[in-house]
Amino acid sequence: MNPSGRYNQIDLRLTAGGFALAFEAEWDPPVCALFGPSGAGKSTILEIIAGVRAAGSARVVLDGRTVIDTGRGDVPPARVRRIGWVPQDASLFPHLTVRENVRYGLRRGGVDGETRLTAAIEVLEIGGLMDRPAGALSGGERQRAAVARAIGSGARVLLLDEPLASLDAPLRARVFPLFVRLRDEIGLPMIYVSHDPDEVMAIAPHVVVIAQGRCVASGPAKDVLGEAARDGIYDLHAAENRFEVRLVEARAAEGVAVVALDGGLRLQMHAAPLPERPVFTVALRAEEIILAAAPPGPVSAQNVVEGIVTDVRAVGGHALVTVDVGGERLAARVTRQSLDRLGLAAGARAWLVFKAGAVRAAGPTGRP
Amino acid sequence: METLAITLLTLKVGLVSLAVSVVPGLGLAWILAKKRFRGRTLLQTLVNLPMVVPPVAVGLVLLLLLGRRGTVGGMLHRATGIDILFTWQAAALASAVMAFPLLVRAAQQAFAEVPDRIESVAASLGAGPFRVFRTVTLPLAARGVVYGLVLSFARGLGEFGATNLIAGSIPGRTETLALGIYGRVQRGDDTGALGLACVSVLLAFVATYLSELSLARAAAGRGAR
Repeated sequence: MNPSGRYNQIDLRLTAGGFALAFEAEWDPPVCALFGPSGAGKSTILEIIAGVRAAGSARVVLDGRTVIDTGRGDVPPARVRRIGWVPQDASLFPHLTVRENVRYGLRRGGVDGETRLTAAIEVLEIGGLMDRPAGALSGGERQRAAVARAIGSGARVLLLDEPLASLDAPLRARVFPLFVRLRDEIGLPMIYVSHDPDEVMAIAPHVVVIAQGRCVASGPAKDVLGEAARDGIYDLHAAENRFEVRLVEARAAEGVAVVALDGGLRLQMHAAPLPERPVFTVALRAEEIILAAAPPGPVSAQNVVEGIVTDVRAVGGHALVTVDVGGERLAARVTRQSLDRLGLAAGARAWLVFKAGAVRAAGPTGRP
Repeated sequence: METLAITLLTLKVGLVSLAVSVVPGLGLAWILAKKRFRGRTLLQTLVNLPMVVPPVAVGLVLLLLLGRRGTVGGMLHRATGIDILFTWQAAALASAVMAFPLLVRAAQQAFAEVPDRIESVAASLGAGPFRVFRTVTLPLAARGVVYGLVLSFARGLGEFGATNLIAGSIPGRTETLALGIYGRVQRGDDTGALGLACVSVLLAFVATYLSELSLARAAAGRGAR
């Protein structure tokens, strides 16, 4: 345990039907994102922590406080855990007004809960909805009211289960910053579940990646997320490369910008629109990279880089080929057929070809 | 005047039978809807039994239980000197037993339709099981529960077989509408029987109409959500 006592540990086992959960993760920062594909077990983990689902065995420590320890017979009922669980559908009480909803937990939350609730209502901008019946709220409003309700109940930790999943892109872009503000102003430890890398990157310094009920990576967002996305953790077809880059020059006349990775690798991307910060994240989908087994000669694409194949992973009719380019790893997705034709295997030399347009700015400001 | 007295007695019997059924009925409905335990199917079967057993047979069981030599009746007599057989209270009890399955089934279905998740959320906000029931489950199931209450009330009003056996048909004391109709037909007083039958139909119509109305509103309410 670290000196500040802000230590978090989840160790769960559960076998139910055909699904097996064997999840272990530890982290220190108060805010953590749980990232992974749907069906990986994210919601189940939150339900076990909240105390609404039983686990085969569980040891959960959040913010230095033991929540469950089945080994010592310590499994308190949900109503005393003070876990602010917000399920994906928000589960507001439809027969009550928004005010009655957010005040439901005050009986336990007390004065402290009420103070925090008042702050949360302001930050989440739901003050104007108080007299509305909860059943009449829109998706984004429902989520915000449910989060405020959890805070008012005197929760010591917030568990947010894909709060933006049911919203369309423009609404997400409007609601998401409210959650970021909430994180900063309410100061509650938080586990934020999401399958959207951009969202995760913006909200949590620490990311735990889950796939098929297991923790496959845990670490700082910028390290772990790139790796997870590149390795097609959540979907081979969605595999993408993510890098933090620095703007070297913007050639406005040509509409092209040159950016550099930490290791020195330079890439060209479209100049407009570019984030206004000097350092930002770019994403490059694995399927947009053309792989060559010999120097390709003159091509129209702006980016041609050379490297050594480090890994080939075949799933179904496709393969993900990871290439080390001067210390930076890039993944390209090709068909099995192409892979066989090129004869690429670990250790082989390979060239990666992609257009400037394939490199796009990602992360919080790069959202569509 | 006689018709009015019989109608009022019938309503009294119906209301009292409803009153004694509410708490055990809703409790049992909640357990059957929300809990998984060994013997659940057996319990469900027992609850449904009065609906399929001949009412007269149920009456016979009650008669044996409640008589002075029966287990319950004997204890009651020794303790208080009261005999419950052949009183309007016995009629109320017979109605309650016969209408019980309707109440439980309707309420059980209404409780089952309240998502477990929303109750779990209430618990995670600090509410104990009773508060969750009172503030979340019951209000969300209200329409279905009202449907069950009204339906079982209407069923209780018409109870004949079991009531006849344990309450008799004593004019002015235990003669309800159903018993009165039968008695008048036996005596050849068809006009009197028809009058009471009209009142029965009217009461049943109003009660059933109200119960359907509450269900229709429930469906509309769900649609609005």
